[in-house]
Amino acid sequence: MHEEQFNAMRQSIIDGAPGQASELASKALELGIAPLEAINKGFVPGLNHIGEQFNHGEAFLPDLVMAGEAMTAAVSALEPEMQKRGIQREILGKVVLGTVKGDIHEIGKTLVSTLLTASGFQVFDLGVDVPIERFAEKARELQADIVGVSALLTTTMQGQKSVVESLDRHGLRPRVKVIVGGAPVTRDWAEKIGADGYGEDAMSAVAIARSLLHK
Amino acid sequence: MGPTKLIVSRNHRLPRNFDWRHVAYADFQRQHFELEAVVNSVWARLAREQCQQLHDAGLEILERTGARLFNEEALALVRKAGAKISDGNRVRFPARLVEQALSTVPKSVTLYDRNGRPAMRLEGANTYFGPGSDCLNIVDHRTGERRRPVLQDVVEAIRVCDALNDISFVMSMFMPVDVRQDITDRYQLEVILHNTTKPIVFVTYETSGCVDAVAMAEAVAGGVDTLREKPFLACYINVTTGLLHNADALEKLLFLAGKGLPALYIPVVSGGTTGPVTMAGCLALSNAGVLVGLVISQLKREGTPIIIPGFGGDALDMRTMVDPYCGPDPRGMPEALAHFYQLPMFTLGGASDSKLVDQQAGIEAALDMLVDAVCGGHLVHDCGYLESGLSGSLAQLAICNEVAGWIRHACQPVEISAETLALDLIDQVGPDGQFLKLPHTRRHMRERWYPTLFERDTYSGWLAKSGKSLGERAAEQVSQILATHHCEPLSPAVAEAIHRIVQHAEAMPGGESLASSSGGPNA
Repeated sequence: MHEEQFNAMRQSIIDGAPGQASELASKALELGIAPLEAINKGFVPGLNHIGEQFNHGEAFLPDLVMAGEAMTAAVSALEPEMQKRGIQREILGKVVLGTVKGDIHEIGKTLVSTLLTASGFQVFDLGVDVPIERFAEKARELQADIVGVSALLTTTMQGQKSVVESLDRHGLRPRVKVIVGGAPVTRDWAEKIGADGYGEDAMSAVAIARSLLHK
Repeated sequence: MGPTKLIVSRNHRLPRNFDWRHVAYADFQRQHFELEAVVNSVWARLAREQCQQLHDAGLEILERTGARLFNEEALALVRKAGAKISDGNRVRFPARLVEQALSTVPKSVTLYDRNGRPAMRLEGANTYFGPGSDCLNIVDHRTGERRRPVLQDVVEAIRVCDALNDISFVMSMFMPVDVRQDITDRYQLEVILHNTTKPIVFVTYETSGCVDAVAMAEAVAGGVDTLREKPFLACYINVTTGLLHNADALEKLLFLAGKGLPALYIPVVSGGTTGPVTMAGCLALSNAGVLVGLVISQLKREGTPIIIPGFGGDALDMRTMVDPYCGPDPRGMPEALAHFYQLPMFTLGGASDSKLVDQQAGIEAALDMLVDAVCGGHLVHDCGYLESGLSGSLAQLAICNEVAGWIRHACQPVEISAETLALDLIDQVGPDGQFLKLPHTRRHMRERWYPTLFERDTYSGWLAKSGKSLGERAAEQVSQILATHHCEPLSPAVAEAIHRIVQHAEAMPGGESLASSSGGPNA
């Protein structure tokens, strides 16, 4: 049933076409397909496909980013119907993310944000040059599961330690996990400052976030 | 449109009394200046009209889109000169400001050695190779281990650079972890000044570090004016993007312009993320940033020397998100653009994306260095880099030195004269004789390049010596240099003067500079 429809939905994610994905989502509802069925049978297989392609070096980062955008568009088209039915799509976890104070490097952190979002996390990006206390404040306000701290300079790396200490002071740990990244950051450093996870690149950040939340 | 040949050399003739025998035995450090004409013509990947298009694109970006400047003095300078400012710091530059700056910025910069002798003339087809700065890891030549560097690694890197004939300038190479992290730049420069006489390209975190670096250099040169007249170092300034000019970058630029000292003003645009993925768009955007730097420097002080990038147009690897150091695509484009402007340029070569000193590292370094030399890059940095700039290796640096020597010989001008044609000799020897015993042979045989690392021996000769690979031999050469080479020392008074500047930075809680306590960077 609706095989053709599901294929088109899958393809709209692979093509990274938000407009098309949104249209197909609305059409699915008209055809009487349940919202979660549309997501799980139509759109998610597309996302999984592009993820595999990326891991094989066939898809490029922008393919992955646009697949994520198409997914978001599809889900928001289905959102009103899901609310009406009182159902929710499962979110893997809430992540607060930022580049630490004194550091204005943006790309690495934004990549992590993009890939986490595409993988089903809800991400709150605080931007760059973020004051130490802001991480804990936002984590408490949103009841976040994970705080991610980026630093690209050997001088600003110290700020990652301060964020860990600040979260401790606010009594948010060990419930809130801390992940750290950035060119000078190493596994040893992450262990030394008591962070819960370290990844060398944005893809490994997704794997670490999943494993920290047992997802 | 095919590539065009563009002759830009202005100074490739050797002095009339030049003695070739001298070359083979010479102290290369001293001779380099006379041998500066490494290549006598430049291969231009872009046609003149294409360069003009890129220039016009830069002007359009600056007039239509504008750039953000995060520094009050810079904003005041451009406002006074007639630029339009909106949204606090978004500046739209009229084209005439750019053209005016291009008419006053010097077409050539000469960098001297620590003793005030000219060492590198950055112009025309002159190419010089050197290492990079601040690698977060070292691949230790003794063990092959990848580890965090310490200050002693910087000392060793500089001593090796000082000894290698075809490394013409130095940079810090490593970011040491065993010194106070907010003032690593002071420690790096102190050991650099002690361990080489070659020209220096230095990097600092903040303006205070730049101020201290200049103070140290003035102490070595023997005064403010001596350093300005014969600069032996230049500051490498990274700018956030073509259209975002961070406070530190502008502060350093203004400080150095005020002093009349050379600055390398290098906006970083990464194709597909901070700029268009197409090479033309990416380069146009970074070039817009370069033009901003030129305008501000010339408004601060007309005729202040600026070295522009001869690299750019690169993109992140869209599969791994690593920033590759030797992708082929934009090679030759920024160099052609810098030659179009006839401005001195800072380029990139001798780096590799490989993780160790292996075949990939050798091939990438050699390709990059050769292409850059042929395209007329002036100050070619990053020799010895591995792992896309995250690691450095002294063995790899030694291999780059070998490659640089090869390139110098492959590209240098050829002398055709009675002496080199040797027609009289050919006639004397005739069809039946040979040339082995002739004085002419002994007189000229050392003009050719002989390797110090590449193996040319017979199979049994190679086996008898060691039977080792290039990487192993390069590591041995590094150990040999470290065991035997010593740089001529600084005078005790100068050594003490520069150490006082380091101590002063140590005494300031925020790592502030000696000079900033008495007037600030722009005073």
